[in-house]
Amino acid sequence: MSVTTDTHPVAASRMSGLTRKQVTRGLRYVALTLLAIVYMMPLLVVLNASLKTPADIQQVLALPTQIEWANYVAGWDRIGRSLWNSVLITGPSVVLSILIGAMAAYPLSQVRFKGDRIVFLFLLAGMLVPQQVVQIPLFMMMRALGLYNTIPGLWLVHLAFGIPFCTFFLRNFFTTIPSSMFEAAQIDGCTAFSYFWKILMPASISGIAALAIIQSRSVWNDLFFGLTLTNSPNTQPTPVALYTLIGGMEVDEGPLMAATVISIIPVMAVFLVFQKAFTRGLLGGSSK
Amino acid sequence: MTTLNPLAAIPFRQRDRMTYFIFLMVPAVLYVAAYIYPTIETFRLSFFEWDGFSPPEYIGLENYWELLGEPRFRNAFFNNLKWLVFYLTLPTVTGLALALLLDAELRGSVVFRTIFFIPFTITTVAVASAWRWMYKPSNGVMTQFVEALGFDAPNWLGDPSINTYSIMGAALWAWSGFTFLIYFGGLRALPTELIEAARIDGAKFWTILFKIKLPLLWPSTIVVLGIAAVDSMKIFDLVWAMTQGGPYRSSSVLAVEMYETSFVMFKLGQGAAVAFVLLVVASIVVMPYIYHMTRQVDEVKE
Repeated sequence: MSVTTDTHPVAASRMSGLTRKQVTRGLRYVALTLLAIVYMMPLLVVLNASLKTPADIQQVLALPTQIEWANYVAGWDRIGRSLWNSVLITGPSVVLSILIGAMAAYPLSQVRFKGDRIVFLFLLAGMLVPQQVVQIPLFMMMRALGLYNTIPGLWLVHLAFGIPFCTFFLRNFFTTIPSSMFEAAQIDGCTAFSYFWKILMPASISGIAALAIIQSRSVWNDLFFGLTLTNSPNTQPTPVALYTLIGGMEVDEGPLMAATVISIIPVMAVFLVFQKAFTRGLLGGSSK
Repeated sequence: MTTLNPLAAIPFRQRDRMTYFIFLMVPAVLYVAAYIYPTIETFRLSFFEWDGFSPPEYIGLENYWELLGEPRFRNAFFNNLKWLVFYLTLPTVTGLALALLLDAELRGSVVFRTIFFIPFTITTVAVASAWRWMYKPSNGVMTQFVEALGFDAPNWLGDPSINTYSIMGAALWAWSGFTFLIYFGGLRALPTELIEAARIDGAKFWTILFKIKLPLLWPSTIVVLGIAAVDSMKIFDLVWAMTQGGPYRSSSVLAVEMYETSFVMFKLGQGAAVAFVLLVVASIVVMPYIYHMTRQVDEVKE
């Protein structure tokens, strides 16, 4: 039976079509695998170096001859405290900026009022202005308020700088929620305040989740505010602590690489766990 | 609910208006305190000479004239323009290419997706740390790779003529994970019937890409380009952590100049002048984006 179908012209052409498809598929795999190796390379060499003794570490491409856990002990010693600081800085900053961003986004998405376009323009401008522009007066304000080198001071700064983006993002998200829901709630005598808490916020949970991830990443990554507004190990966030390791006079490479790995793990873990929510919320919000 | 008496709704409406007003006032106050006031203050400061402790001295436009005469300032300005061109092109094209490559029914696509996305999740300073290790003279991976191909490896971060491009390599690695994800999501959301129909009609890969896929991906492109333009203006963390703008200020950008002038040399008036120039440049660069976005809002509301 197989012999007859093989000689059949239609089957033969289908066969060759199939193989061409298989060839392109094979090429895709080859290209993707090569690219995957390139993308993994920086992390793999860092991981490799973080496990090596000082004698081995200059052989960048060789595997460790013996595992040097002492690097991780030293790395943790240098940045462990800063990870906790970063958690203390990031958590409240993100929660507050989303809450206040949602408050602003609510009237902007539901009702038309005089000057709504100007408010929107200001928001965009706030998102687009580099934070360095306002840093000198902000630094002076923080000192005057006694908030220089404190974690609540960083909450305030990240909150203020998070508001434009959070408002913009949530305004877009809120407009995707049918206005018939709003009108029905109004007719039922639901106040604007209870509509916000009981209907709008719960209905927007996927957008809020995505926004929380984006905001956490940007607060967690920040080096600039950390450098200018903190100066002691009790308040320094992770990027600043890692930076002091890089920028030191004598770079201790093993512990630095271990500290780099330690600093990478928390955010990467959060992203991998919430990858789906992140993608969905991001695309739902941005494509509108 | 039983009677739809419009008059009965009035007290509610008034209370609602109050809610809206308060909801808008809280962020507005913070906004004025964190943006409007400091921006005006930065502009005012840029006309003074001030070390942060002794009383400021009014010197008119002196700070600006001084900046114009400084090669390091001009160099930082041109580096920002290079970053702008880079951010708008390479990561966008790379992300799109990765997304197109992966946009097929492939086994293990989740693994590839995760691998391409991971660099985006890494803290900027850790990206800098990893790439300083990659670029190490004599034994870094990049150095060894170029030497294995039979060329003389450059001093990636030490050579003033190429170090900005070396930093861009690290930025490309980290940022293309994001552009990839946006485009991949966009491609997955495209109507498959349309593309299938074109393919049956004999349309070639490039025709389908340029005539169908790219126009439909325009919303994704707008997001990617907008964020890229903004990031190219405010770039600081990666440059500062990789080279501190050196050697000889060759890889510096305006944000690095502003930081160094104000917080390392304590010439706050001049730092404010750099900041104000940065504001003007950034405004010019992002103006088309703002224009586009506000027009989009009008279309939605009409």
